[in-house]
Amino acid sequence: MDSLRLAQDAAILPLARKGDPVAQEALYRAYSPQVYGLARRICRTREDAEDVMQETFFEVFRSIHQFRGEGSLWGWVKTIAASKALMRLRRNKYRDTDELVDDVAPQRREDTALRMDLEAALERLPEVSRAVVWLHDVEGYTHDEIAQMMDRTVSFSKSQLARAHARLRRWLGEEVVA
Amino acid sequence: MNHLTMDQLLELREPGREPELEAGRKHLELCPECQAEADRLAQRMARLRALPSPRPGRDQFPAILARFQANRRRTQFRRAGLAGLAVAASVTLAVVLRPAAGVDRGIPTQVAEQTSEQSDSVLQSMISRSQQLEAALNAYDPDSRVIDGRTAAIAARLEDQLSAIDRQIEMSEAIGRRADDGPAAQVRLWRERVGLLDALVDVHLTRASYAGM
Repeated sequence: MDSLRLAQDAAILPLARKGDPVAQEALYRAYSPQVYGLARRICRTREDAEDVMQETFFEVFRSIHQFRGEGSLWGWVKTIAASKALMRLRRNKYRDTDELVDDVAPQRREDTALRMDLEAALERLPEVSRAVVWLHDVEGYTHDEIAQMMDRTVSFSKSQLARAHARLRRWLGEEVVA
Repeated sequence: MNHLTMDQLLELREPGREPELEAGRKHLELCPECQAEADRLAQRMARLRALPSPRPGRDQFPAILARFQANRRRTQFRRAGLAGLAVAASVTLAVVLRPAAGVDRGIPTQVAEQTSEQSDSVLQSMISRSQQLEAALNAYDPDSRVIDGRTAAIAARLEDQLSAIDRQIEMSEAIGRRADDGPAAQVRLWRERVGLLDALVDVHLTRASYAGM
């Protein structure tokens, strides 16, 4: 987070706490790309991601008086967005499609011409695994934090991450290169 | 020692676990295959972080703002208005029930009592219906729902009209104690309030039904 962003946050926050629409719009413009990006990586569909973005900013505007400035504003917004996205996964009663995915994987593995790019491989992961990969590897959450957000155990988060990386490695054809 | 598993390679990247992973770390230093695997893992993570961020398709700020402002109005209304309305409703009933209200206006007592009873009955049913609709709206909990911009705008407009009616009810209650048409005016306002609440519930529930929520 750059210093300009931090300075802008400091100027906007008092107004946003009062419910000033101009300040709220400034927050939305500043953070909506990141919020949507995070939501889209976790949610299955674009529509779900858009819903998560709406829920996130509604919550941000409603609860911003609770933000005490401990840590960055983006960190606070990001945690709300991640929680909303995980709630959406739970609400959609996601299926853990491990077996299904493993069934089709070997066909791809044999053919390096069909080697998937990282984007496609990530998309193909089961929803929970993809969420753990994104939250841990990209957003920088610890397993403890992920476990708490998902209402699961730390071991669950670790095992999801390991299995996801094993799959990504296979689908990306990295073992052929090695 | 066997080659490191994906779990172990990932574990070695976690901070603060060094003493527990000493054997794994030593193996990694000596094993070119595991070193290559660890490098691939690090590269994969770096590539994940470098993926382009998907961009939102449409501007949702107007819908979010409308929802937030509607919620704020509703909260303010609940805090400030409900208590006042409850008092207004009870006072209104007392005014309507006031006996022999028509005597001073030259209306026969029996007719006046009948009119009063009818007004009372209609008013009670309006207030009761209003409470039922409020309960239905609270049970639906619109604050926790995602709505599109058009629905949010309609709901906001209805809530504005509701607030205006509530203010009129309070004023009418104060005036109604003196005015001749007090009970009738109260009935009319409460009827309008029920109509607006009905429409608001309809907007939310129709939308929920349409979205399959």
